Amino acid sequence: MPATSRTFVKASLIYLGLGAMLGTLLLINRWVFLGTMIGSLRVSHIQFLVVGWLTQLIIGVAWWLFPPLAIGLRPGSPRPARRGQAQRGSEPLFWVTFISLNAGILLRSVFAPLHSWTEIGFFNTLAGISGLFLLTAAITFVVNVWGRVRELGRPR
Amino acid sequence: MPPIARTFVKAAFAYFVAAFLLGALMMLDRWLSFSRWLKVIYLSQLHLLMVGWITQLAIGVAYWMFPRFLKEQNPQPRGSDALAWAVLACLNFGLLLRFFFEPFYLMGPKPWMAALMALSGALQAVAALGFAWLIWGRIRAMEP
Repeated sequence: MPATSRTFVKASLIYLGLGAMLGTLLLINRWVFLGTMIGSLRVSHIQFLVVGWLTQLIIGVAWWLFPPLAIGLRPGSPRPARRGQAQRGSEPLFWVTFISLNAGILLRSVFAPLHSWTEIGFFNTLAGISGLFLLTAAITFVVNVWGRVRELGRPR
Repeated sequence: MPPIARTFVKAAFAYFVAAFLLGALMMLDRWLSFSRWLKVIYLSQLHLLMVGWITQLAIGVAYWMFPRFLKEQNPQPRGSDALAWAVLACLNFGLLLRFFFEPFYLMGPKPWMAALMALSGALQAVAALGFAWLIWGRIRAMEP
């Protein structure tokens, strides 16, 4: 598994743990009332599990296992310097996906509850901006991996 | 595919069918009004899909396909079998506990039901942390 995928998968496991613990806190709050603020953490619970855990795991594993680009596979064509990694697509662009995705998750899951607790408008703006980060992550990942969605064994 | 992974995947398929069956009944209920119970199971049905189906499938496939431990790291190639079975048991017991009691809690909250909900959440969190512990060491570069 390449270092890029390992980072995604480890981050996804951290979000799985955090999301599950937040879910537990939400359920405990039904039993022992911990405060009105706890309910606002539902946004973070959903964000951590749906985007942080599942989406991030899928991206990491797809980057690892999808068919490689045909770079260096044609007869006589030069082998790339970093065979394997170069055949996965643009590594810098993949890191942009990672940073954007996690910035989006954290902005939303931190500032959306903070806004509902404090009513400070700036927090709402920051939570709103999270959508742009998540969109950037989605676009950069799809652009990067698009060429690898192909039949195995035949150069493109 | 090892037996534990097969159990995770088969359980995930069972939740997939059950959740879609409930979804169909919930849609029909809007028209035919079968039962009050069907009006309050939406959260449970959502968790059957997100935890029982998608998360459990991801866990089963990751347990099966992630790089195995090197012999010198761990004699068990996929890590502790006991821990993997414990993850399976906690995840499913927690999920089913929630599924069976949450609708009744929403129809008429009682403290003991709320305590069971909290227990179901704790069991699922234990399963999540147990899985992270189980798989963490296997997130590594493949040997050449």
